[in-house]
Amino acid sequence: MYFQKKRCIAMLLAGGQGSRLKVLTEKTAKPAVPFGGKYRIIDFPLSNCVNSGIDTVGILTQYQPLELNEYIGNGQPWNLNKTHSCAQVLPPYERHDKKSGWYKGTANAIYQNIDFIDRYDPDYVVILSGDHIYKMDYAAMVEYHEKNQASCTIAVRNVPLAEASRFGILNTNPDMSIYEFEEKPARPKSTNASMGIYVFNWQVLKAALIEDEDDPKSSNDFGKNIIPNLLNQGHKMMAYPFDGYWKDVGTINSLWEANMELLGKDPVFNLRGERFKIYARNSALPSSFIASSAKTVDCFIAEGSEVEGEVRHSVVSVGCKIGPGAVVEDSVVMPGVVVEAGAIVRHAILGENSRVCKNAVVGGAYGPGEEMQISVTSKGSVVEENAVLKPGEMM
Amino acid sequence: MNVMGILFTNDANIGDLTAKRSIASIPFGGRYRQVDFGLTNLSWAGVHHLAIISRFNYQSLMDHIGDGEEWGLELGEGGLQYITPYANSQTHSYRGKLESLYNALPFLEYGKEDEYVFLVDSAVTYNIDLKKVLADHIKSGKDITVVVKRGVANSKRMLDLAVTLNENKEVSDIVVDYAASPEYLASLDLFVTTKKWLINMVRECMAHNAFHMDRDLILGGWQSGKVSVNAFEFEGITLYNESVQDYFDNSMALLKPEVHKDIFERVHPVYTKVRDRVPSYYGADSSIDNCMVADGCMLGGSAKDSILFRQVTLAPGAHIEDCVVMNDTDIGEGAELKNVILDKNVTVRPGAKLIGTRNNPIVIKRGDTV
Repeated sequence: MYFQKKRCIAMLLAGGQGSRLKVLTEKTAKPAVPFGGKYRIIDFPLSNCVNSGIDTVGILTQYQPLELNEYIGNGQPWNLNKTHSCAQVLPPYERHDKKSGWYKGTANAIYQNIDFIDRYDPDYVVILSGDHIYKMDYAAMVEYHEKNQASCTIAVRNVPLAEASRFGILNTNPDMSIYEFEEKPARPKSTNASMGIYVFNWQVLKAALIEDEDDPKSSNDFGKNIIPNLLNQGHKMMAYPFDGYWKDVGTINSLWEANMELLGKDPVFNLRGERFKIYARNSALPSSFIASSAKTVDCFIAEGSEVEGEVRHSVVSVGCKIGPGAVVEDSVVMPGVVVEAGAIVRHAILGENSRVCKNAVVGGAYGPGEEMQISVTSKGSVVEENAVLKPGEMM
Repeated sequence: MNVMGILFTNDANIGDLTAKRSIASIPFGGRYRQVDFGLTNLSWAGVHHLAIISRFNYQSLMDHIGDGEEWGLELGEGGLQYITPYANSQTHSYRGKLESLYNALPFLEYGKEDEYVFLVDSAVTYNIDLKKVLADHIKSGKDITVVVKRGVANSKRMLDLAVTLNENKEVSDIVVDYAASPEYLASLDLFVTTKKWLINMVRECMAHNAFHMDRDLILGGWQSGKVSVNAFEFEGITLYNESVQDYFDNSMALLKPEVHKDIFERVHPVYTKVRDRVPSYYGADSSIDNCMVADGCMLGGSAKDSILFRQVTLAPGAHIEDCVVMNDTDIGEGAELKNVILDKNVTVRPGAKLIGTRNNPIVIKRGDTV
């Protein structure tokens, strides 16, 4: 088989559990968690790749891969199913030399797939994760990397100093070259937080991965091992500043917030527009139907939904039913959810295909300044008739 | 069972809606085109070869359908072909379906393993299990099966082909282009037959300069005893889009849950070309009442009893009622519309007022500004 040489390919780390999303990732890998009415988190890095001219993407899966694998399929929604393009799912596998098995860390996941990358003989490899909501032109970052003749370039964003100790912080010289990397420093020296997006010269990365694998003490992680090692070896490493919208949706609250940031006439994060479209696998559902009894105010309602009740400041995903007299407010309603007549849902995330039965109450309302707690229903769960799921409770 | 499909785009002129397109390309039902319903029915029947026969205006259709992937068509080698006029030796356009089938003979003869063929027209919308129709055809032992619907004929409407059935469900009369009385069952312009028989009949008819499918092959053949005809009675809802008024009435009918459910869910979902629009946004001051809304809309004003296709903008203060608004149309602030069909890419200026009537809706042509 002949493989076209590629200047740049992407490897997408999609194997993490996303345990801070709690019940939402019990049966679903984090990158497959629904977002914004018709998308899944992985649509963002995948669409970014396509929009950046990267047509070969290896997707490393491990935790609960069934749904994710099925979703990615042959890569057709992202146009990654052509003769010289691919979206290749790369699960852990067994090898003759026993240097295999479950992916031990992010670096080990790439290490185990050196052969996949070598087939394309790329100059550059972009390492991505399936945890973030953002639009970014990776091609511009690769240009920057090439122009600076760096071995590795890391995308960074400015975070408030108070929050900097939660991130991997990159301390840079005035020319944005990195002289120090600190993982979650108690006293951060700068506010350049790593976004977990890396561009590597493939030959440099390959050597570093092999070296790292031979170190039994290594935790085989990009942030903890590969980046500090390359820095110590004197490789030129650059920080690439990014100031667009970027959201880690790793917690219930941040996932809820990111959904809410899609709403409004001029939303914080605008998905609209022909440029830099986000692609998703589409469900063949008819247009949404808004009944006479419905009230739909400041909300997203995706195709295939039937609304008879009231929806305010919420995201309603594809194929949902909101019954007569039901109220959905300040909530994220994932695909296939049914909210029956008279049910009240406030400040909640309703997991895929879950059901809130008649007159049940999920979550609560908050006054200004009160600490908000999001109630969550897991995939396929049922809140029984007249039952109450209190604020912050999970089902 | 190996089956092939032939889909006619129907090039009848139904006014401004077909000014630049065939009936197959007319946007219908919020996010579909007429052809999507036929294509989906064929896809679910598992056709391996499909020909799309069009007399003219086939460019937008080819753009829409592409390789058929989005309809789940699992086509074999040489799977999808567009049969356009002048593709063979004729020096004129088609006069009738038989003549266009004559032109399609190389395609018909191509799929050697195909035994049966479905003939589908794009002007009628329904959601049908074609496998059941095929099973009924085989069981009947007749030459050809026509799918018919009770309750469409009303002594006023001209029908291409209509039949009566006796108590054994056998065809007892056939009429063509006739305002048939209510006991007649109207053809859905949907036939199933064997490929071999069809090829022979097309050759024979053309040799006798007979090119009209309903009149020459079905009616003529049945009357002369050469052709045995089986009728399959379809129980589901059928929407005939044969005029602007039909189109308007059928669009409004889709707002009724029972019609909606039957057309979109009876047997299978309906597929269409994916456009990757974001979900529609319902603004803080919008009011949407009994409407079908596709993705990508930006809704600021109010809409009642209307169908909004993809990427429609309804500015604050605008009010529409009993309207069909096709893709990418912008309705300006304070505009007021009632009983209007707005084709694609129309711009309605702020404050514009257009009032049609239920039985005489206004049509604004594609790309126009009012």
